[in-house]
Amino acid sequence: MTTVSAPGTHAPAEGPGPAAPRPAGRRPRTAVVDADIHPAVVPARLAVELPAPWRRRYERFGVRGAPPPAIYPRVRNGGMRADAHPSSGPPGSDLGLLREQLLDAYDLVAGVLIPLQGHTWGAEEPAYAAALCRALNDIQVADFLDPEPRLRASICIAHESPEHAVAEIERRAGDPRFVQVLFPSGSHLPVADAKYRPIYAAAAAAGLPIGMHLGGTEGHRGDGWPSFYLEQHGWYGNAMAMALTSLVAGGVFDELPDLRLVLVEGGITWLPSLLWGLDSGWAVFRDDVPGLHRPPSEIVREHCWFTTQPIDEPENLAHLATTLRHAGLTDRILFASDYPHWDFDDPVTALRVLPADVRRPIMARNAAALYGVDLPGDAP
Amino acid sequence: MNAGGAVDTDTHVAPASLADLAPYLPAYWRDYVEGAALRLDPTQAGAYPPGAVTDPAPADVATLRAQVLDVPAPGGTPVDVAVLSATSAFDVSRNPYYDAALCRALNDWVTATFLDHDPRLRGSIAVPSGDPEAAVEEIHRRAGDPRFVEVVLPVRGHDHRYGHRRFLPVFEAIAEHGLVAGLHAWGRAGSAATTTGFTHTYLQDYLAQGQIAQGQLTSLVVEGVLGRLPALRVVVAECGFSWLPPLLWRLDKEWKGIWREVPWVTRPPSEYLREQVRLTSTPAHLPADPDELAEALEILDPASLVLYAGDHPHVHGDGTERLLAALGPADRAAVLGGTARTFLLERGAPAPPPGTRSPTTRPHRREEAPR
Amino acid sequence: MKVAVMGADELAPGEHRVVQVGRRSIGIFRVGDEYHALADHCPHQGGPLCRGRAAPLAVAGAPGEVALDPDRVFVACPWHGWEYDVTTGRSYFGPGEAPVRSYATEVVAVDPATGRVPGPYVADTYAVTVEDRVVVVDTAARRPTDPEETA
Repeated sequence: MTTVSAPGTHAPAEGPGPAAPRPAGRRPRTAVVDADIHPAVVPARLAVELPAPWRRRYERFGVRGAPPPAIYPRVRNGGMRADAHPSSGPPGSDLGLLREQLLDAYDLVAGVLIPLQGHTWGAEEPAYAAALCRALNDIQVADFLDPEPRLRASICIAHESPEHAVAEIERRAGDPRFVQVLFPSGSHLPVADAKYRPIYAAAAAAGLPIGMHLGGTEGHRGDGWPSFYLEQHGWYGNAMAMALTSLVAGGVFDELPDLRLVLVEGGITWLPSLLWGLDSGWAVFRDDVPGLHRPPSEIVREHCWFTTQPIDEPENLAHLATTLRHAGLTDRILFASDYPHWDFDDPVTALRVLPADVRRPIMARNAAALYGVDLPGDAP
Repeated sequence: MNAGGAVDTDTHVAPASLADLAPYLPAYWRDYVEGAALRLDPTQAGAYPPGAVTDPAPADVATLRAQVLDVPAPGGTPVDVAVLSATSAFDVSRNPYYDAALCRALNDWVTATFLDHDPRLRGSIAVPSGDPEAAVEEIHRRAGDPRFVEVVLPVRGHDHRYGHRRFLPVFEAIAEHGLVAGLHAWGRAGSAATTTGFTHTYLQDYLAQGQIAQGQLTSLVVEGVLGRLPALRVVVAECGFSWLPPLLWRLDKEWKGIWREVPWVTRPPSEYLREQVRLTSTPAHLPADPDELAEALEILDPASLVLYAGDHPHVHGDGTERLLAALGPADRAAVLGGTARTFLLERGAPAPPPGTRSPTTRPHRREEAPR
Repeated sequence: MKVAVMGADELAPGEHRVVQVGRRSIGIFRVGDEYHALADHCPHQGGPLCRGRAAPLAVAGAPGEVALDPDRVFVACPWHGWEYDVTTGRSYFGPGEAPVRSYATEVVAVDPATGRVPGPYVADTYAVTVEDRVVVVDTAARRPTDPEETA
């Protein structure tokens, strides 16, 4: 719970008050798989897992990459659900509260961990980045996967140091609880750059999708830096759109036909307009992209998945369903809560903005098919 | 002015070389150009390579007449007004004084070469956008000429978005004179188009114009420029338009949660943008399937949003033709010229009053929550 | 049903707390010497509304000219941060689907106190009295859903 000391502001007198059990009617009637859960690792826990000399370096000098709160102020509770703080440590660091507020509260069949600390740690000095990401993955196993069979995890990698990244993918690929490889939308070079292709190739060879989540080390170049969080976050889908455009126009999917890409937390409704632009531009600028032999929309629909949070809520809700249909991949859309972030989408209520026939497969089936999760009622 | 004719809201003219501008440059700058062997890049720093244009942009009025004014809009409607976009100074220099001298010369050249020779023409004022004070000075200098209807700013280009306070005097001057703020595709090529740097393909660079335009519109509404200047009108040119509805949905939803950060934004952002912003028709990135096209247009409401632009001599495919063909007669007339006549051509036209809502949307109630 | 929920002095001005009344979770807010009660349920996605931060309304005469209006207190849902006036349960997100159902062109009145158009969401409120320095919530006599509509 946020505490406020400034005079004249209002704060709860004694924390959030007595814990109110969630009424039974809140339980979803259908199975839920959550494609975006953010665990957090506290510094003391990470240090224990780091070998010399990295532990001492981490304790005394930290990391160089600036995480989001330093790049832009997240104006709601530091970016967190105000009711998701455990008794100690940041939201997402306590499996007990994660169970209480998410896994048990909504009877989740499965949920995929996406530790965003990997986004900045993966861009550190190569050997240091590799040690940080390896420790982060070890902690995912020990603190989350081993005690909680409903959880799956993303392999955090030193994405700016592809040799280390490939080694980490190969190290974890034998553990079926790691269901994807995490990569940020913001990398030092365009995501289609040749530098990163060994990472994509290693993921495809291991049969793992790339889970691309917003964040990383992106800047604002042509458009200039936003001054406000609303400005930054309201525009944010474009950062994901830029990354997808880079991969498609750069021919990465044609080079790696087995590559699967999950675009997490970047929105979906911008996709139809982008696909129309890609197809139209491809048709008139063919000489610019000689490696692209078919309409880019076909490539996207073959290789890409999307997650729901933050779901749009247009005034006319029919427009949302129509737009998702225009994207042409409603069997590739995965429900995501983004727990424990400030704009958490509730598994029961958030997708009521969609018609039931569109919503149902999104809640569990699409993710189960992608990540290999058994749903209750499935034939053994 | 024939009320039934088309208004081409974005057609390009460009000096063939700096020699065309020499008569309008003071002696120091003529020497500066010569001494540094400066030239006007015909591709505008890669914005318009040979594969993306049919011809060089017209540099004389006879060519403009032959290629634009005397050629009907798609569907056969004659063009009776055309707004000139002169963007040659977008990517010339970061020397603010040269930028100012060049923009001033470019505006003199547009006036003497085109506006003085054909009554169908309207102009866009080029301004040194990196130096707001100098930009304001140039706006004041040109505003007395009623043929200038717009101030054109590169959509891509600075360390700050246009909603930032540093640019406020520019928008105040635009509003004061009843001009329109034009945000036109491309700009400072030294600023990478994407969050992760320079693109590898023209295709991505081209599509980034719309993505950057979304950043600028977000900035103008969130940083409070549109609310502070309710008479300000903005036209986004050559950046596409079909991306707008999802941007509005996202902004409105996020505003509900974090307006406390920007309490001057007292209404949903979409209301400011729907009232004070229009977008040119070209490029039109739309679905190929006719049923999906009809659905997309119902969501977009182009009659109230989109202004016809031929965008000669740039190549964008057949989207604009398909857009116009898919519209009913009234909506087509609005896109071809009706909306532009009041929004863009009429100096000092007010934006629609606050609180008016589009009649085209009908609410669709969210499913009832189980109790 | 009237239920005594706490002593009046248990909350300092500006504080709030969630209490359990049978199966109901209710937020009690003290604004000055007035007490208000809201259902601990956000009409948006069902979040535990009253576990959020409450703060005076933020106002701005112009960009950057920001201030707080101490007379209007809003609670922000801990999920998404959507805010509701603790005295009425009213949101100010625009006219939305209520109270006007038709989408013909219309002009919607702006609330002079907030400078915003009220609606569409209204959190449930309960009548509160203070009897012998005890805060009493009446869970039966729920106020009209939209008090300004019926006023």
